[in-house]
Amino acid sequence: MTSNPLPVNSSRLGGCTLTGAISVTSHVRDAVTIIHGPAGCSHHNVSLLHASWLDNDHAILPELVSTGLSETDIVFGSEETLRKSIRHAAGRDVRAIFVLSTCIVETIGDDVAAVCAEEYGIPVVPVPTAGFLGGTFHDGVNNALIALAATAGPCRKTGGINIIGEMNLEYEVEENYTEVARLLSLLGLTVNLRFVHDISYDQLARLGAAQLNILRSPALVPVGEVLKERFGTPYIPSFPHGLSGTLSFIRTVAGACGIDGQEAVSGECVRQEEMIAGFSDLANKPASLDHTLSGAEEILAAEELAAVLDLVVGAPGKSSRLPVSAAIGTVGTRRMLHRWRRAIHA
Amino acid sequence: MKQIALYGKGGIGKSTTSANLSSALSGRGLSVLQIGCDPKRDSTRMLMQGRFIPTVMDLVRERGDAALSLSDVVFTGYNGIRCVEAGGPEPGVGCAGRGIIATFQILEKFGALEGDVIVYDVLGDVVCGGFAMPMREGYAQEIYLVTSGELMSLYAANNICKAVQRLASRAKSKCRLGGVICNAKGQPREEELVSEFARRVNSAMIQYIPRDHVVQQAEVNRQTVIEYSPDSAQADHYRSLAQRIMENTRMTIPTPLEIDDLESLAREFI
Repeated sequence: MTSNPLPVNSSRLGGCTLTGAISVTSHVRDAVTIIHGPAGCSHHNVSLLHASWLDNDHAILPELVSTGLSETDIVFGSEETLRKSIRHAAGRDVRAIFVLSTCIVETIGDDVAAVCAEEYGIPVVPVPTAGFLGGTFHDGVNNALIALAATAGPCRKTGGINIIGEMNLEYEVEENYTEVARLLSLLGLTVNLRFVHDISYDQLARLGAAQLNILRSPALVPVGEVLKERFGTPYIPSFPHGLSGTLSFIRTVAGACGIDGQEAVSGECVRQEEMIAGFSDLANKPASLDHTLSGAEEILAAEELAAVLDLVVGAPGKSSRLPVSAAIGTVGTRRMLHRWRRAIHA
Repeated sequence: MKQIALYGKGGIGKSTTSANLSSALSGRGLSVLQIGCDPKRDSTRMLMQGRFIPTVMDLVRERGDAALSLSDVVFTGYNGIRCVEAGGPEPGVGCAGRGIIATFQILEKFGALEGDVIVYDVLGDVVCGGFAMPMREGYAQEIYLVTSGELMSLYAANNICKAVQRLASRAKSKCRLGGVICNAKGQPREEELVSEFARRVNSAMIQYIPRDHVVQQAEVNRQTVIEYSPDSAQADHYRSLAQRIMENTRMTIPTPLEIDDLESLAREFI
């Protein structure tokens, strides 16, 4: 049982477990996600997904269905309502159905897994996503990825790299993927599967074929462990952050794949030096790093970058407040540098 | 209008006591409404010639609450007593507590909560917030505990004291413990024990109801004792209970016992 030892806990960063799970399942193009709960749980999430997808020029509505529970469902139990929703969705032209639970159905004890285990003619995959059980947004992502991984059987290793747990709601999700794919290509490696970003249900079967899994962030380590256990695939716990982070990422991937990465590292190093030279106008400028919402690896990468640029960080007096965001790879670092330049010359 | 609720361990005789109490109250010329607040739905059966009346929750499920009216949910039984069963989900699914809350909201909407006396007959244990609903503001202000001298029955009664104490501490709550009804199993010194228990939880035993075979005889004839055998001594006990409840002015905030104290109390009277 989970409990909150601090009843005044005002954290706003944990996020809804359901939203995390939807950010994964809604990226299986030919599947439907059923949200088993009151209509509001779905509406809020559809709005969020729609808005973030539009940001990424992806102007279609996510395939979400709500069981739209009312008080009667809560009093009498809502398993039958769920069964009807699944049957209805199964009658459409879809390859699979994902069923996400909500706080209220876990409270009244609906046996969601048992209803999903019945025969509907297509795979029906339950994902436990009740937030009050102690989960955050990340737990929702992890639960969904682990549930989807269970649908993939063992398969022959054909090489290639899996990208695990991309942050589908982040603004730069495509750019970050492109950058990681570019870094892999420096080693002659290709992507086997984006698990899960804009794929079809059948593609999930390829999950076990990769020789290496690259996780988007260390929060996905539980998923990496499950995949390692299930398919014997090793993993790297994070996308690369910043300058030296990118170089060591290339080295680590090369090592994991038994490739000599020295040439790739040298080439990338030259590229980074040329890039930094292009931002020499920032040298000696007074600045402070705004890392209110940043993670540790993002802050470390930003501090390194500020030092390389000869920015004067933390000096008294007037300074520019520089946004610290995820600087994924060399290209991501360049995007952050452009933001810094705009802030400094503003 | 007087609103009272009977709580106690499952199987202790709350429904039998409630139905006989309602009968006795109606015999005093009072307009009585009895509400069964238990998914088992058998509170009012003896007032309805053994009939299981449709429950509020069943009717909501079948027709939707928009299609219901007062006459659909209230049934008139023995001596004009109005009967309502809250009902609830099948065993093992859903949320019975929410069902009680929903029933109360529907009854309020229909203006069903009227008359001289309302008797709420509530599920044995106050397992969640929903079953404390009858004790909340605007509903029963007087709680009566039904218990025998058995330890498990006293234990359940003591737990309900905790719920009453908690609710009584809320700012606008008028919920108080009205007394303890001893529905005897027939064990030695039972009346003394229950009386002492009532005293220790800061209340009083309001009525001792001895064990009597006439209760079973009435039940197999689908009647209350008051209806089946109005001249019996048992019927007098229920009439006495009705009178004492109507005259009762001693409302207290209970002081529940620790389990060790409860056990040593029971040991004193073995």
